[in-house]
Amino acid sequence: MTAIDSELKILLEKPLNHLVERAINEGMIPIGYACSMVPEALISVGKLFPVSMRAPGSEGTEMADLYLSSVICTYARSLLEFALDDRYKFLGGYVFTAGCDHLRRLHDNLDYLKKPGFSYILDIPHKTGGAALEWTIEEITRLASALEKQFDTDMSRESINKAIEKTNALNRALSAIGTLRKSKHPPFTGTQYHRLIMASRVSPAEYMMPLIEKFRKTAEDSEGRSEYRARLMITGSGLDDPEYTNIIESQGALVVADRYCSGSFPGLEPLDSSSNPFEALARRTLEVTRCPRMMEGFNSRAEYIAQIAEEYSADGVIIESIKFCDTWGLESAALTDQLRAKGIPVLRVEREYRQSGEGQLRTRVQAFIESIGH
Amino acid sequence: MKISDLKDTAVTSGYKMLNLMAITKMGIKHGPFDLIRDIRRYPWLLDLAKVNRLVTKLSRSRRGNYRKAVGMVLHGIVKEMVHQIEGIFHRQEKLVLHEDMVPPEILRAMGLSPWMPEMLGILLPMIVPNVMEEYIDAAENEGIPADVCSLPKTVIGLTVKDRLPYAKAVVTSNLPCDGGMSSYIYVEKQLKAPVFRLDIPHHFKDERAEVYFSGELKRMIAWLEEHTTGRMDWNLLQEICEERNRMMDYELQLWEMIAARPAPLAADAVYLSHLWFYNVCSGLKSSTEVFRRLVMLAEENLKNGVAAVPDEKYRALLWNPPTMHVIDLFAIAEKRYGVTCIMDSMSFNRLPFIDTSSRESMLQGIGRYIMNGPMARHTRGPMENYFDDIFYIIKRFGIDMLWMAGHIGCKNTQALNNIMREKCRAEGIPVLIIDYDLADPRITSREGIFLQVDHFMENVMKAERRFL
Repeated sequence: MTAIDSELKILLEKPLNHLVERAINEGMIPIGYACSMVPEALISVGKLFPVSMRAPGSEGTEMADLYLSSVICTYARSLLEFALDDRYKFLGGYVFTAGCDHLRRLHDNLDYLKKPGFSYILDIPHKTGGAALEWTIEEITRLASALEKQFDTDMSRESINKAIEKTNALNRALSAIGTLRKSKHPPFTGTQYHRLIMASRVSPAEYMMPLIEKFRKTAEDSEGRSEYRARLMITGSGLDDPEYTNIIESQGALVVADRYCSGSFPGLEPLDSSSNPFEALARRTLEVTRCPRMMEGFNSRAEYIAQIAEEYSADGVIIESIKFCDTWGLESAALTDQLRAKGIPVLRVEREYRQSGEGQLRTRVQAFIESIGH
Repeated sequence: MKISDLKDTAVTSGYKMLNLMAITKMGIKHGPFDLIRDIRRYPWLLDLAKVNRLVTKLSRSRRGNYRKAVGMVLHGIVKEMVHQIEGIFHRQEKLVLHEDMVPPEILRAMGLSPWMPEMLGILLPMIVPNVMEEYIDAAENEGIPADVCSLPKTVIGLTVKDRLPYAKAVVTSNLPCDGGMSSYIYVEKQLKAPVFRLDIPHHFKDERAEVYFSGELKRMIAWLEEHTTGRMDWNLLQEICEERNRMMDYELQLWEMIAARPAPLAADAVYLSHLWFYNVCSGLKSSTEVFRRLVMLAEENLKNGVAAVPDEKYRALLWNPPTMHVIDLFAIAEKRYGVTCIMDSMSFNRLPFIDTSSRESMLQGIGRYIMNGPMARHTRGPMENYFDDIFYIIKRFGIDMLWMAGHIGCKNTQALNNIMREKCRAEGIPVLIIDYDLADPRITSREGIFLQVDHFMENVMKAERRFL
């Protein structure tokens, strides 16, 4: 497991990794996106491929703070800082959503300070239902036209369905590995799986598949892990740094489930590639992502977390939210009560996007594991 | 003492007397035992009863028609607030809680009694500046992050402390910000009332947004008919919209007049009237009447060459909601530096009238005004809306400076402050960003706010400060 893990680690060290570089050299175009509601399959059509926008190794957000202020979440600020440092110059463009106040204002500031060749903001409704679905289908259709026009890519239904199949294959492979965490002695750590998921979000699917396969084979040959004190689930706002999971696991925990933007729940479910692809993509965006920015469905989101925790035999749930995130900030307060009422131990932590407060996190995780009797 | 001073004193005393009478009448009608019970349940009633403090605060430095206008607007607010409170006392079976960006016109046309929880977080700090602290603390003790806007936190706090009336239904929306939107999870949990949520698109200028949103309004009406005793009376809605149009017509006349230099009326007379009568009780004859009389007072001042602020030196545009717990900000700034607040982001709007020719056009018109409302247009939607409005207002009203009420909890506007500074600098417009919190004076005290004003006026504007 160490060899493949090291390979994945390298892919996460900087936004432009060697697989992305290789793809660019072969004429492919990376499209950055910063929200799990962006339909990845649509930016995987033809020569396009999606790259989840991250700011690995971010050391500060001095310039971004001037524009976005210090009350915007550090994910948005870190992305702006990286953009101002020209760290995303390799991207062919950005696709954002009007997902939250922070991302919308990031998009506005990027447009003002560093307008890329292609920048699109998807307007996703805050509720589900017939009218919202229709609206989203239209939004995705418009995005497809804009991409077609900008990058001269065939956006026919057939091409999109092909891209959906490609995305499904990637997600199925990741999901199959993920279910191994249900075992009493999973063959890999939560950190290793986190690296695998994140590497797949920042690299072209074609080049990731062999690595995923290698990970699967290594996992099959590995002995299960039994040296842990508690099985934990992490839920909350976008978490793209596996080192965070590593800190939690360094205290004797084993992270067995990951329900957050860019995690494996939800989002790896296959899409229907046989019918209208725009509808399939719209349904995924509206009905699958389960983001608290959706006004309705708090109870079903809480139920979903409880269900995953049960399926993966989690002894407790860590709810993490990035400081200043309103939707997760408010949701997690209510969620904590709801999960505790079901008898699930909960640790709620606020964090910054970049690694900080490591000692504090270690202490809190230690105390949490002890409090749940392990 | 001059005769004019005596007249001014009489005007203020008259309005104070009328306010007291309205409050007393409400108490008598409710009966002493029920009143005591309800004061225990809603302790904020006692704070509202102190409204004459606000009258004093906003009147003492104003003279003539300006003072009259302020007194009249505040009395209009008191009368409607009494009516709203009577809704809790006597019309509970029709009571519907609605978030501040949900159109109350529709609720009224359905025979329902609307109650806006945010109204307390807006009105109470104007009267008793630190009154919302206990509700903010209650929300934070529930685990709500301290950085969330204090207005939704007051709503959560009131909910948690069981100080909101029980309603038959709740209608909310995704406006004006993520914090406001998500706060209704708590209202829903605590009140256990059914909730309908209106969805307003980001690209609201798109034609299909109008269709989508009017569809949302139709779904809201159908939902309310299912969950309450309310039934849509389209004729009544037409009357309400027509009345609203008349009120808007008067407001446009008022804007026409305050564009003159010096302005015949300003600050609270302009923004409190819009803040209250448009958002809480538009479409009522009494609201139109307030605007009609504001126009008369402004006209008279214009005719006689009387300025609201006798030595108007600077014309300010106020951006963001007014500083609620320092509501006399401009009353002081007028005296100290001759700064006159001409227009504000909460009052200004570009789509005033509702086409009442059909049901469809009314719903589209209401939808359009909600989507284009200040807190919607400026906090949702792309930043162009924000800056287009700022520079239009600056030109249209002859503005010399921009005062940004930089509410720390408003992440939407905080994230545009630097672009605003740069754009204003390019246009030669001085900008003052007041760092403070909308409802919590512990973040920046009254003194702290005035210190920022003094530094700006003395160091940037090189203004001479007059000691009061």
